[in-house]
Amino acid sequence: MQNKSLNIGILIIGFLTIIAILAPLVSPFDPSVIDQDSLLMPPSLKHFLGTDTLGRDLFSRIVFGARISLGIGLVAVGIATLVGLILGAAAGFYGGRIDGLIMRFVDIMLCFPTFYLILAVAAILGPSIFNIMIIVGLTSWMGVARLVRGEILSLKEREFIQAEKSIGASNLRIIIRHLIPNAIGPVLVSATLGIGGAILLESGLSFLGLGVQPPTPSWGNILIESKSTLGVAWWITVFPGLAILTTILGFNLIAEGLKKKLGG
Amino acid sequence: MENLLEVKNLKVEFFSNKSLVPVIDGATFFIKKDEILVLAGESGSGKTLTALSITKILPNSAIITAGSAKFMGVDLLTMDEKALTDIRGREIAYIFQEPTSYLNPVFTVGIQITEVIMLHQNKNKLDAFNEAKELLSLVKIKDPQRVLSSYPHQLSGGMNQRVFLAMALACKPKLLIADEPTTALDVTIEAQILQLLLDLKKTMGFSLLFITHNLSIAKKIADRICVMCKGKIVEEGSVDKIFDAPEHFHTRELINAYEKIGKL
Amino acid sequence: MILEIKNLTKTFVIERGVFKAEAGLVKALDGVSFSVNEFDTLGIVGESGSGKTTLAKIIINLIPATSGEVVFDNELIKNIRKDVQIVFQNPYNSLNPKMRIAEILSEPLLIHHIVPRPFVKERALELLRLVGLDENVLGRYPIEFSGGQRQRICIARALASQPKFIILDEPISSLDVTIQAQMLDLFLELKQRLRLTYIFVSHNLAVVRHIADSVLVMENGKVVETGSREEIFYSPKHPYTKALLDAARS
Repeated sequence: MQNKSLNIGILIIGFLTIIAILAPLVSPFDPSVIDQDSLLMPPSLKHFLGTDTLGRDLFSRIVFGARISLGIGLVAVGIATLVGLILGAAAGFYGGRIDGLIMRFVDIMLCFPTFYLILAVAAILGPSIFNIMIIVGLTSWMGVARLVRGEILSLKEREFIQAEKSIGASNLRIIIRHLIPNAIGPVLVSATLGIGGAILLESGLSFLGLGVQPPTPSWGNILIESKSTLGVAWWITVFPGLAILTTILGFNLIAEGLKKKLGG
Repeated sequence: MENLLEVKNLKVEFFSNKSLVPVIDGATFFIKKDEILVLAGESGSGKTLTALSITKILPNSAIITAGSAKFMGVDLLTMDEKALTDIRGREIAYIFQEPTSYLNPVFTVGIQITEVIMLHQNKNKLDAFNEAKELLSLVKIKDPQRVLSSYPHQLSGGMNQRVFLAMALACKPKLLIADEPTTALDVTIEAQILQLLLDLKKTMGFSLLFITHNLSIAKKIADRICVMCKGKIVEEGSVDKIFDAPEHFHTRELINAYEKIGKL
Repeated sequence: MILEIKNLTKTFVIERGVFKAEAGLVKALDGVSFSVNEFDTLGIVGESGSGKTTLAKIIINLIPATSGEVVFDNELIKNIRKDVQIVFQNPYNSLNPKMRIAEILSEPLLIHHIVPRPFVKERALELLRLVGLDENVLGRYPIEFSGGQRQRICIARALASQPKFIILDEPISSLDVTIQAQMLDLFLELKQRLRLTYIFVSHNLAVVRHIADSVLVMENGKVVETGSREEIFYSPKHPYTKALLDAARS
């Protein structure tokens, strides 16, 4: 069976990941070396994607930025998925008061506009890559929790779970070995979509100066620097934008492909 | 006696992975006027599909590739959709295994029966409603008024099957096709519904094609039995012949099973 | 006497609204008492809603009783026990679709430490042979099997913890008729070989007559009649038993 969107998505993300991992080998320049002689150079053979206001090679910065942006996306979503999975599974499986408590907490978290919540926390804790990962992760698990709870609620009534209980399996064993593997499909799909979202969040935060701090390049803070030169140096805006677009497209394709594969 | 329905060499195939898989493979049988023919077989033998093929109400992936089904001398399989619509419900009516799922849950029983009557006979709403009431008494529902104003989920499975039967009989069909109509019901209710079918057949004079996997029902009601296996009619004969002198291996297997699990 | 049920009652509370106000009570079991002798098969007969499945689940301790006692081997049943097992009605739904058969069978073996880990696979294979399957089955997923085969796997899983007592809850009613007959033979054979005691829950009187030594008839959560197979089938006393038999024979 062919699954075009999954294959193309994996190809795109695989390519980007390899570039990110091999960043020091791939990039022709050190991303933070300032070259006074070549400020705001348009794309050329020497600088594929041009240079920025400080004469740094844009291509190298985007390649190194991929490390940060992809890393933040993956780790943040990993945290969100883990938290959502644990809380959602507990709520769905135990029901009653535990369920009520967890789900009200979810409702409360959802009441805050996420972005402002993140802004507030980032402002208090101070911006750093590590903080961003945790903040984004801890503010985007609610969807996963709801999803997992719903899946578990319907799964736990299935006879094979009753059968597992009757052979003496413990609750933890039932949750980990039987419920979660059967509920993981839709979670994977939403997590993949979430990675794109997390990268966008990071870009947004960096754009506002509360994300990754210069000189460390991330796609978001490359974009910030472009805002003053938008009229004269289009490449500083377009290329990091394209990088974000491609990544999100890649993850969305994977998500769609996964949905098809796991659903059918 | 004249044959009401003659099915010859019926072949139905399913589209699967771009190739055709035969599901009914040359089924041939007939039903006389006023007769009860039981089509017996296990799940997957093609009994239901055979019944649905007669008036071409098939799932999209199924195609009738050969054969004929002559109803009162006219081949239904070559008839156009519009003419067939006239036959369905009016001349040939169906009842199914899960009446509750075939009734629309958002309308009362009264509205649904009235609609069927208005659709097939030129009657105004009031006449149709009164006729609905009569039909319900015909299927021996004791308080038709209450049932008419109930929703399907408020009624028991047995009651819904009676309602469904009333709808099927609204146009006094010449052939009633009953596909496992009692399988989902309790034994006491099953006995009542079977008796009702026999009584109605006597008073209204239709022929009955009864599909079941349960040979004890076949023994109770059939004039003749056709045994179906893997898309073919493997044996045909009177009740006595099938039970006392079964010829085909599969018939013997079915009777063997019946001796253990059906005979009381 | 291996199992004794004393005055078992189960009431389900129907809740309504946000605050879970009690909207009503449903008595699923109402003062049920009976006992099962060792190496016997007790058939429990009743129509849908009679409480037979609730009873089965309480005996195995999947759900708690509202009041009453379940005594097994002179001990009160309080937890799920490895010597009391159950086989459910719907084999299509009773096996974890994401696990291979080998894993499914190793679960009870590992949980109850029936055999040391290196011997788990061997033991799983023995169990499969016992129910008439072979080693080709081990590496495959439930979806690859027919209903009858899946039910055999469910039986193998129930046998894994070496139970003395198995509750068969409508174990054949979702299978094809010819397969049903084969399964009945398998149950009888296993009972002989492993010296098991059964409770066989069914709505099909013919099946119960074929397999049960004694029979219990339930209606609306109550036991209406108990007796040996001969008593119930040839000289039923309660009108409901008679009605059931009449309906099945008519």
